[in-house]
Amino acid sequence: MKLLTLLPFTFFLLLTACSTEPRPIEYGNEACFSCKMTIVDPQHAAELVSDKGKVFVFDAIECMVEHYKKVPDQSFAHILVNDFHNPGAFLNATQASYLISPQLPSPMGANLQAFSNLDSATEMQSAKGGQVLNWASLLEK
Amino acid sequence: MTKKKLLLILCGLSLPLQSMFAARLEVCPSCSYQTIHSALENASDGDQIIIKSGLYREGNIQVTKSVHLLGEGWPVLDGEGQTEILTITARHVLIEGLEIRNVGNSYIEDRAGIRLRNTRFCTIRNNRLVNTFFGIYLEHSADCVISGNEVLGEALEENSSGNAIHCWYCQRLTIRDNQVYRHRDGIYFEFVDNSQIFGNTSKDNLRYGLHFMFSNDDYYYENRFIQNGAGVAVMFSKCIDMDHNIFASNWGRASYGLLLKELTDTDIRNNSFRENTIGIYVEGCSRIDYHHNEFKQNGWALKMSGGCLDNHLQENNFIGNSFDLSTLASAGTENTFDNNYWSEYSGYDLDHNGEGDIPYLPMKLFNQIVQQTPEALILLRSLFIDLLNFSEKVSPVFTPENIRDLHPKMNPYTLNIRS
Repeated sequence: MKLLTLLPFTFFLLLTACSTEPRPIEYGNEACFSCKMTIVDPQHAAELVSDKGKVFVFDAIECMVEHYKKVPDQSFAHILVNDFHNPGAFLNATQASYLISPQLPSPMGANLQAFSNLDSATEMQSAKGGQVLNWASLLEK
Repeated sequence: MTKKKLLLILCGLSLPLQSMFAARLEVCPSCSYQTIHSALENASDGDQIIIKSGLYREGNIQVTKSVHLLGEGWPVLDGEGQTEILTITARHVLIEGLEIRNVGNSYIEDRAGIRLRNTRFCTIRNNRLVNTFFGIYLEHSADCVISGNEVLGEALEENSSGNAIHCWYCQRLTIRDNQVYRHRDGIYFEFVDNSQIFGNTSKDNLRYGLHFMFSNDDYYYENRFIQNGAGVAVMFSKCIDMDHNIFASNWGRASYGLLLKELTDTDIRNNSFRENTIGIYVEGCSRIDYHHNEFKQNGWALKMSGGCLDNHLQENNFIGNSFDLSTLASAGTENTFDNNYWSEYSGYDLDHNGEGDIPYLPMKLFNQIVQQTPEALILLRSLFIDLLNFSEKVSPVFTPENIRDLHPKMNPYTLNIRS
């Protein structure tokens, strides 16, 4: 009987243990998984959450993409980048639009920024110049 | 008298003439020019603009002529949190004795207190910059000197802070005797070659005291890096020599005295690493010589990760570190440790030649346990661990035999190190 009452509790524990939710980055305290730099820039930071719930944090989108391409067999529950116009708000990286502009430096020298939609990316492109990309074309770069 | 000498004397005589032609334009409420803008408009190349003490709220000031801007009695240029203040695009500009204040933060532009863009032969010296988002920002510039400035930030959060001295695509800079406090990075170099950094103090910066990215053939010496997120980070660079620097009190989870990542062909000597979580963290670095350095009271003196080849540690002092070395077992053949002094060494010297008769193994068993299970650190200094380490020392089973110092010194070296 006692064991039976414990059962839902164990179930609950199992479920929460396997959470694949993203978590906020601790700016100033965490180091980039790929380049080891301390993450301080919420405009460019990125995050990967594996299908088993392991969280990888990155200081720049280019670091995240580099790691993503290194592990083709790994599947991810979340691929997240920050919105250039709204730092701190994660975007789904596969849906975001990207701009590579030499006028806008990013932490690892790729001059790469992410935007929530194509319009704001092209708007920034007309102001600063550069090349607009989507997730698929970004992976090919 | 030879012709050559005569020519030299004539040249010498004509020098004061040149300065006689240079006009002095004074700026103050009762002077002929009330604003810096109007003085700049009427100035021509080579003129001196003397700014008398007072408060000048003129927004952004574009310096497009080769002039000297000299402050007398610390005049204050206030941006009122709205704009970048000085933007210099002319060559041979000198800025001295100004106090520059209150540049507003911006996510879109990297605003600065003083910006140098596409210029050469400029000098920025003895200024005071307070609460400027980026302090002094150099882009696509060469042959400039930044000296004796005080750049005081108010960075408490990383997302609202810039770098104190930020250099991007530059050549042959001299950065000397500056004080840089409370920014994201104290001094930041990205694509900067053939430059020197010396005599600076970088303190209380959120990320790094000094940061190199993709920069080659630079030299930094006699600097102090204290209480930063991490002291200095050198990444993706070549030939960055460093000596007589102090890396102290860089404590924290992701903190290092010195972080080396993908760096090659470098000489690291006469530096002092004191009281850092990790003295030096090395990853993917080749052909690096570490000699005559002092590692004192760090958590880890040296942590070497994968991909390191030809790192040679010789004649260094390792004194009172919790761990002297943490590395992979395979690192022993590719990287060498020789003739160092290790305060942990408990061997003997029967022939009195100053060298221990048995090798010192800097990798302890507990060290390897911590490497695999960081939580085990809680057992540090416990009797159990002491017993474990002792039994391992008597009959080594797990500790890598190839990571060892064959000639450990019995006494520390007297090193030429700044205090």
